[in-house]
Amino acid sequence: MKRILAQCAKELTQFRRDQLTVALAVLLPMATLLIFGYAIRLEANNIPLAVQDLERSPTSRAFADRFYATNQFVPAHWDGRGAPEALLDAGTAKVVLIIPSDFSRRLDAGKVAPIQALIDGTDSNNARVIRNSVRQVTNFYLSTRSETAPTIALRSRLWFNPGREEALYIVPGVFALVLAIWPPLLMAIAMVREKEQGTIIQVFASSLSAAEFLLGKGLAYFLVGVAQAVAVFGLGAVLFGLRLAGDPTPLAIGTVAMLAASVSYGLFIGTRTTTQSAAVQAVATSGFLTALLLSGFIYPLSNIPFPLSLVSNIVPARYFIEITRDAFVRGTGWPGIWFAPLLLAVLGGVFFLASFRSLKRMQLPG
Amino acid sequence: MKFLERLLESRLWALMRKETVQILKNRQLLFLLLFPPTVQLLVFGYALSPDVRHLKLAVADYANTADSRELVAAFATNGIFDVAAALNSPQAVSEAVRTGRVTAALVIPPEFQRDLARGQTPEVQLLIDGVDANTAGIASGYASQIVRQFGYTLAGTSPAAIDPIVTILYNPGLRSSWFFVPGVLGLVLTLTSSLVSSATVVREKDVGTLEQLLMTPAAAWEILLAKLAPLFVLLVGEALLALAIARLAFGVPFLGNFWLFMIFTSLYICVGVGIGMMLATIARSQTQVVLTAFFVNLPLIQLSGAIAPIETMPEFFQVVSLADPLRHYIAIVRGMLLKGVGIEALWPNVLVLAASAFLLIAISTNRFRRQLE
Repeated sequence: MKRILAQCAKELTQFRRDQLTVALAVLLPMATLLIFGYAIRLEANNIPLAVQDLERSPTSRAFADRFYATNQFVPAHWDGRGAPEALLDAGTAKVVLIIPSDFSRRLDAGKVAPIQALIDGTDSNNARVIRNSVRQVTNFYLSTRSETAPTIALRSRLWFNPGREEALYIVPGVFALVLAIWPPLLMAIAMVREKEQGTIIQVFASSLSAAEFLLGKGLAYFLVGVAQAVAVFGLGAVLFGLRLAGDPTPLAIGTVAMLAASVSYGLFIGTRTTTQSAAVQAVATSGFLTALLLSGFIYPLSNIPFPLSLVSNIVPARYFIEITRDAFVRGTGWPGIWFAPLLLAVLGGVFFLASFRSLKRMQLPG
Repeated sequence: MKFLERLLESRLWALMRKETVQILKNRQLLFLLLFPPTVQLLVFGYALSPDVRHLKLAVADYANTADSRELVAAFATNGIFDVAAALNSPQAVSEAVRTGRVTAALVIPPEFQRDLARGQTPEVQLLIDGVDANTAGIASGYASQIVRQFGYTLAGTSPAAIDPIVTILYNPGLRSSWFFVPGVLGLVLTLTSSLVSSATVVREKDVGTLEQLLMTPAAAWEILLAKLAPLFVLLVGEALLALAIARLAFGVPFLGNFWLFMIFTSLYICVGVGIGMMLATIARSQTQVVLTAFFVNLPLIQLSGAIAPIETMPEFFQVVSLADPLRHYIAIVRGMLLKGVGIEALWPNVLVLAASAFLLIAISTNRFRRQLE
């Protein structure tokens, strides 16, 4: 135990000495939070919409105005000349609505009046949202025209996030992303540096055992990780107003488990690679990419297709996202997420054992 | 001919040959150039899917009549919702949503049939887990469409009197990979070109061989150019590889002019290499270079619209993103691949790329030279 602490203290001293790295270890998680927290939004507002109104009647104008009355569409700059497709080609409009010249005549005669919506499909998620909005606005316009009540009324209630604030969805995910990249990255660099500079030979020659060495090193970066976690949680509370929604113990225990898993993962990469740039690439590709794409951070987990969905089971961020979303938004507590810290601990154990085994082989017996 | 002869005998050529041999010997570098980009393209393309389908739905049908069961069937058969549980108490419903076992719960009240028979409007309730705001919004939109459609069938009236005929251009199947893959192509080029070029320059600093190179009669620009030219060729190869993956694995179309596209891509590679050189002049060791690379690349990627579209960002970030060369490159890639537009629509983007390539390379070469003296 004493040797582990000594190793940990040595590691922290060494870490403190490189000031640029210390600064980056603090700044990078915060920058990640800022950029991901503010810049990732899925739902588009202010979509530029152009209307080619071939009728120019009060009815058609009232219909077109309905679209601009929602906060989702804004008028696109268009002088009304040329083909409407050219607007989509140039990207000045994302959707063009074409109202035919017999629009109000058909509507007043009780016939079906077709209108055409051309949507830029380059961004498929937004195209889908735009398509739904066009239909909804049309239906809303129709319901204002007719007096009859709908046959069945649907009352939708959104729980936990009634205002559909996207920050409440994205920012807890960013917490997981931050803890999934930075602690293992620093850990892997620290580990591989011993090999690159040859100082690991001295460790092998000393009486320090492989387990003590790994635990001491890991503990140091675990503490760095705790500091990073506290920093991003605090910044998240200040900037995005994220408050604990319920019992804080799942978050506390979950964070410890997540950091243990992250740091062990960094150790594992550090023992398996030989140069710093390789270690960084390995963490960036395997750690960052999986945390970003296979964790349910942006789109629901259930959308990941079959062979990849298996991989997502061993991504620590996936479990930690469930913990943070519950802690900051849902507030259910242990009954909803009791399994997540458990699985994180198991993953951490597996990574640690793997790095222990590969390091132990290099050491002389005895 | 004379020029070629002079080139082949020049110092620059000798240095280039030395660098090429060094790169080809470096298995790890070649691996880095090939493996992560392939994996990134495949994983991004397959894993990022915004489709809202097969959401788990719990149903509490207190009416339990033929009509209410029809309504449940209408929810179950359209692919958006999968009925995952039938519950019979308000506690069970709230428990199912609260623990995340289901994403939504449909509650049909006992007076559903009575209201229908009296000609009143019965209310049904849909509880949606709003944690995922995007999915919840789309799901509730679909749900109201389903209920409205069902109401029309029940009442026997004709549906909407305005029929929006929706035509989706450029990506009629709404395949999400067609959106993400061009973005990831730009992302991959940024990451590899900046990391690889900064690593090769800094390594000489780190190991101390840079001093030896400086002792030779070669000029600073010759050393740099010789280092970067082979990398440039490799990176062009990487762009071709990424293009092939986009085509073969995802069927992404290529509607624009290929050679024009390669010219713009080369321009962007110059930007990436410029970023790498800039990093190499800032950092003192490999550790610092990779960390600062992250520091620079993260905002570049996040503000580029590769993953989250630019239109969805807050206004402030949309303005900031105009300074991001990757944003302009991705606009070029999407424009040329999916829309088939050429320089007439893309010239502002090309101008920004050219300007940033020039600035980055000029400033970093200057800094590099000063650091050497």
